[in-house]
Amino acid sequence: MLKTVNQRISLVLIVVGIGYLILAFQLPSYAYVPVDADIVPITLGILLILLASCLYFSKDSETEEQKARRKIPKKDIGALLAVFSFIFVYILFLELMGFVLMTMLFIFFCSWFLGYKKHLSNALVSILFPLCMYGMFTEFLNISLPQGLWPF
Amino acid sequence: MKKVFIGVVFVVLLIFSAACSGGDEEASGTEGSKEWKPEKPIEIVAPAGAGGGWDTTARMAAKVFTEEEIIDSDIGVVNKAGGGGAVGWAYVAGQEGSPYNMFVASPPLLFIPLNGQSEYGHEDFTPIANVIADYAAFAVAADAKWDNLNELFDDMKKDPSSITVVGTSSPGSMDHIQFVQIAKAAGVDVTKIKYVSDQDGVGLTQLLNGSVDVFSTGVSETVEQVKAGTIKVLGVTSEERLEGEVLEDFPTAKEQGIDATFVNWRGFFGPPNMDEEAVAYYEEKFKELSDSEAFADIRKQFGWDEMYMNSEEYQQFLDEKKGEIQSLLDELGLGE
Amino acid sequence: MGSLEGIIAGFQVAFSLEGLLFVMIGVFVGTFIGMMPGLGPISAIAVMIPITFGMDPAPALVMMAGVYYGAIFGGSTSSILLNAPGVSGAVATAFDGYPMAQQGKAGKALAIAAISSFIGGTVSVILLMLLAPMLSSVAISFGPPAYFALMLMGLTAISSLSEGSTIKALISAVAGFMIVTIGIDAQTGTQRFTFGNVNLLEGIDFLVIALGLFALAEVCTLIIKRKDLSQENAHKLGSMRLSKQDFKDMSGPVTRHSFLGFILGVLPGAGATIASFISYITEKKLSKNPEEFGKGSVKGLAAPETANNAATSGAFVPLLSLGIPGSGTTAVMLGAFLVLGVQPGPLLMTDRPEIFWGIIASMYIGNVFLLILNLPLIPYFAKILKIPRPLLISLVIMFSIIGVYAISFNTFDLYMLLLFGVVGFVMRLFSFPAPPFILAFILGGMMEQAFRQSLTISNGSLTVFVQDPIALTLLIVALLSFVFPLIRVIRSRRA
Repeated sequence: MLKTVNQRISLVLIVVGIGYLILAFQLPSYAYVPVDADIVPITLGILLILLASCLYFSKDSETEEQKARRKIPKKDIGALLAVFSFIFVYILFLELMGFVLMTMLFIFFCSWFLGYKKHLSNALVSILFPLCMYGMFTEFLNISLPQGLWPF
Repeated sequence: MKKVFIGVVFVVLLIFSAACSGGDEEASGTEGSKEWKPEKPIEIVAPAGAGGGWDTTARMAAKVFTEEEIIDSDIGVVNKAGGGGAVGWAYVAGQEGSPYNMFVASPPLLFIPLNGQSEYGHEDFTPIANVIADYAAFAVAADAKWDNLNELFDDMKKDPSSITVVGTSSPGSMDHIQFVQIAKAAGVDVTKIKYVSDQDGVGLTQLLNGSVDVFSTGVSETVEQVKAGTIKVLGVTSEERLEGEVLEDFPTAKEQGIDATFVNWRGFFGPPNMDEEAVAYYEEKFKELSDSEAFADIRKQFGWDEMYMNSEEYQQFLDEKKGEIQSLLDELGLGE
Repeated sequence: MGSLEGIIAGFQVAFSLEGLLFVMIGVFVGTFIGMMPGLGPISAIAVMIPITFGMDPAPALVMMAGVYYGAIFGGSTSSILLNAPGVSGAVATAFDGYPMAQQGKAGKALAIAAISSFIGGTVSVILLMLLAPMLSSVAISFGPPAYFALMLMGLTAISSLSEGSTIKALISAVAGFMIVTIGIDAQTGTQRFTFGNVNLLEGIDFLVIALGLFALAEVCTLIIKRKDLSQENAHKLGSMRLSKQDFKDMSGPVTRHSFLGFILGVLPGAGATIASFISYITEKKLSKNPEEFGKGSVKGLAAPETANNAATSGAFVPLLSLGIPGSGTTAVMLGAFLVLGVQPGPLLMTDRPEIFWGIIASMYIGNVFLLILNLPLIPYFAKILKIPRPLLISLVIMFSIIGVYAISFNTFDLYMLLLFGVVGFVMRLFSFPAPPFILAFILGGMMEQAFRQSLTISNGSLTVFVQDPIALTLLIVALLSFVFPLIRVIRSRRA
């Protein structure tokens, strides 16, 4: 039943479509318009399920190149996960610690992690860059970035 | 292994610096002084993106405060957009008691909680002062058959399905309710009013090309079109006639025998439980702002009206308005 | 009409020393802010408003206009070099601009963008000058049914944005449409799919999606390929000199989309983003080699770049001659006018001709400035690609984060950015194209609202769509563009 990639994707999409439809049917009604807020979502949910069913039965039309995209070495998956967790931590502490500090840490460690070996230039960039951006946004553009622990 | 190490160093550094952050908060509290004065930069939140009405009001107030040297501390305007204001309000609500945070607000602060879109309403905050007022105007195309509100409302009573009203906000919010309020006072069945919302600000276009019949908007948006003769204003929602060229020609709803008004007030609020001394300080400063010539120029430029209220008057005014809106929304079945 | 005197007065304003100076400042600041990821024309104008307070209105507005189209002009740089569009109008630019840069032709790509922008900007100013008074009636001719038909017409092009599988392209589009239904529904005030989260009430911002699906998804691909030597091409900047063939390829799209972009810009609510998308898909449909699109096609880059700049001038028609702001950006621009005590509207041309024509005249100079400001800088911009990969990846991530943060100043949107980065990457893995997603996100939302407005106005009668001549025409075009490819497919199968 789940032989091809398309079939697997299509099942996931059908589940998403059903979930969306359930939510769409629960939308409260509003008395004063001929087409209520739920009509378009319901149509979209049904469309998604229909299209996903078509996908289930459709032949695999991917080129070799497109298939090759999915062959990611384990090591790289690890790297992706790590970078995403770096970003997550970056966002998590952005407002608490402030833009400047977090960006410095992020640029330095993320670049190092990805294999940038020139520590001196890495350090220089990660210190100067956030400072310039911060100064430009807050002083010149009057757009405040999170200050956090940064003193000014 | 090395990568793990980098990750660990990163996290450790974070925790370390986060721990350091706890230290200096306590030292900065200001207590005990009778005459309160700001010692730190003041932050005004505009609960919307750059460029809108709230943002403009906040930035202009900050500008006059600084340039006229009314307040010595630095004043920064911070945008917290989202949820029609709800995100910004939630942020300020989290600064309980702080005398250095405030936000700018207008009637959506009443509408949005009533529509169930924000858990915070005006009663959660400390009103500081109201500064300006704006009024609603109901416009129709220049060649429309109605010449005053009563003719329009009579037709709406006869055949409500033939007349469409357009505004920018969604039903249950400002442009809709300001019209409903006046129409109700004129005896129109408010559940039969056909209202469409045009959020790209093209309501005026729809009026000019005849797609819709009535445009519910702010007074200042109509002036130029009236001068050019493309639209006519059937009524405005102020108590008395407005002053100024063209504006003085707009009849109020009241003088047409419809006993209702609607004010688009705009003022400033502090976080919950803001210190009384601080409120008193700001009240006075906003009074100074409102009386200043520089701010009068700004009002004139944007077509705003002067409307100063101190904290207490403001609170009362808001409670009263909220009650009115609540009963309207209940009648429409839109209240939460 | 007496407008000749006005035009002369306008040129005097624009060509005065003061005028020239402020145009230059305006376009410089505009390009600069536009290049910053996430900072588009709205922030650029809003930032400049307090600065102009108290200035003489004519030069101040000339400057603000410069900031506006300068920001659109500058927005293409990060799209092309980093696949990280900073301005929504530059998303379509990335479709072919980024692949071109990846092939080691970054210099050429930036040059094409600059020249197309310049021509689109200039041609549309000429149109603006000749037609502004007349076009004001075009600007208001579109009622909700016509907007519905226009958006539908745009959506019929989705299948042409596929990477092989039409079904996958359609699924992408439905998904994009679903995402745009999140938030408060304008017609009823109903909260849809917000799960009680205040951050979702206004829906998800376009840039969050664009930066997630394009910039972050690209970051993922870069991480995987970071050691891959075959990617060395991308480090090359290439010559920025264009061949005769390039100019030949550009001439068609640039001419067409100067006009198309301008007209779409004139319509309130359409604007640069929609113009760039519609131009891109029109160009692809017209092309004899549509398979080149998305892989670094000169035409695919020139079309949206011409159109977004042309649309920017177009947007001045309703703003100046009717006082109607057709988009968020022009609404802020209207605010800038008011601050200076100038009320745009039907009377502006007669009351303040020097301002009306001054702004228009200054746009010629502004476009020239933009070209001479940008062309010599291209080699320097392109050097961005020389930055070592690991560092570049970190910087792109940081720029995306600043860009999104500067929209709402809220970390919630940053988490959404991260989420859409993952979505974008997964879509790539399974060959679901991202452009239909984005297109449906932009057009779908407006289409739904226009559809329901139309039916509210007509009390539920569907005839409203065929009674309006503009809507009817557009619907027929939409139908044809849907049916013709279908017939072609069926025929080719029989043969």
